[in-house]
Amino acid sequence: MREPTFLILTALAGGPRHGYGIIQEVTALSAARVTLLPGTLYTALDRLTAQGLVEPDREEVVDGRLRRYYRLTPGGLDALRAETVRLRQLATAAETRLRALRPRTT
Amino acid sequence: MPPTGDPLARRYRRLLLAYPRAYRRERGEELLGLLLDGAPAGQTRPSLRETADLIRGGLRCRLGRPASSTVGVWAVLTALICGLFTAALASRVAWETSRPQPDRAEFTAAFAEAFPRHRLGDDVSTARALFVIYGQPLSRESLHSLLLGDGGEYQEGVAAGSAVGPMPTAEAETLATARQRLRNAGWQVYEPTSEVLQTCADPRCDPASQPVETVLVARRGDTVLRATFDDPRTFGSYLGVELQRAAPPAVLPAAVLAGLVGGALAWLVFAWASRRTEDRRRAPVLLGLTLFFWWAPVLLATASLAGHHLDEPHPSWHPLWEWLGQPTLSLFFLVGLAGALILLVTALTPRRDARPLTVSLG
Repeated sequence: MREPTFLILTALAGGPRHGYGIIQEVTALSAARVTLLPGTLYTALDRLTAQGLVEPDREEVVDGRLRRYYRLTPGGLDALRAETVRLRQLATAAETRLRALRPRTT
Repeated sequence: MPPTGDPLARRYRRLLLAYPRAYRRERGEELLGLLLDGAPAGQTRPSLRETADLIRGGLRCRLGRPASSTVGVWAVLTALICGLFTAALASRVAWETSRPQPDRAEFTAAFAEAFPRHRLGDDVSTARALFVIYGQPLSRESLHSLLLGDGGEYQEGVAAGSAVGPMPTAEAETLATARQRLRNAGWQVYEPTSEVLQTCADPRCDPASQPVETVLVARRGDTVLRATFDDPRTFGSYLGVELQRAAPPAVLPAAVLAGLVGGALAWLVFAWASRRTEDRRRAPVLLGLTLFFWWAPVLLATASLAGHHLDEPHPSWHPLWEWLGQPTLSLFFLVGLAGALILLVTALTPRRDARPLTVSLG
């Protein structure tokens, strides 16, 4: 799973969000390292919807602008969990090796 | 999407035209709302980054199959090959702006200009058309040969003749004199190339005893001269000369323009068919077959012609269709065309609606 996809799923794990909300959340989660543009976000949302990981939730109109909310599907939740476990395993393996390296370098 | 007086919204709407109409109808307002939500106060024009992102997103959306990671590659391959075919067709049409192939008088004059002390044989052949198949202009009768197996015989017409009698001067002297005389007469003369002909397959044959073929190429205006020095014991004459037209100036712009238009149209048709056949399992198979039968001749012909171009000077390149393996491998093209037509018919036929329309009341 690519990082923007992981961040979008993570943003939606906090509850349904509309497009602008997802962009803001991804920016916050990545400490402004990843800034999604609307075209890229909707390409990703279309892909995730086709893969059954995300689905439309509800619509609302704010200041005359239509906002459609998206939420994770159970499949999306599973995919996010699996990816989180994979990343944690990788991070743990890296930490273990770095800890073993530390006494020799100091 | 109703029009609005906000110039930024109007410009965003214009960019959203990159998306297919059905998508705009369903998601256009939502996407516009997001764009306006994210725009800083006072912004009146989309940034370059936004513009590129929306165009890229819209073009990707047009291809449909949102979960596919390869549909873009297939679209590019299709657009490219269709653009090349269109360019080749346009270049053939543009060839009609050329003067007719040289006649006997023009050929004789050129021969005498380059090789004054040599005797030209009577059997000078001339071409009856710019391009010929088996020496004849393309006709309804020869169309069968062109399309079904003998396409390699479709070639640019040429006026050709050979010297008769013994060579009056040594080959090196003849060559030097010809180069000098041609240059003096305004021809651009290219460095002659020589190739040892492998007439004996036995490895015990002495390479030094193998005949050597030397080719001299020159161009003046729209005419190309090609003189070949061969061993008269093998070829019946020590010198063969060919005269033919170079590609007219209209060929390149016509090919580029038609290639761009053809490629763009092919991309749009591919995108339309891709969206229409998302639930058709045979569509990717048909596309794969079509692209194989269209691209295979290109790869084979390009590899062969590139080597040939490197072997001797080419003041005028071989026509584009020859680089695409056409019409030599026209059977491949026809099979690919049949695949493409079946694919289009599949896209045109009504499909099962995966997402039936639902109407919620209240």
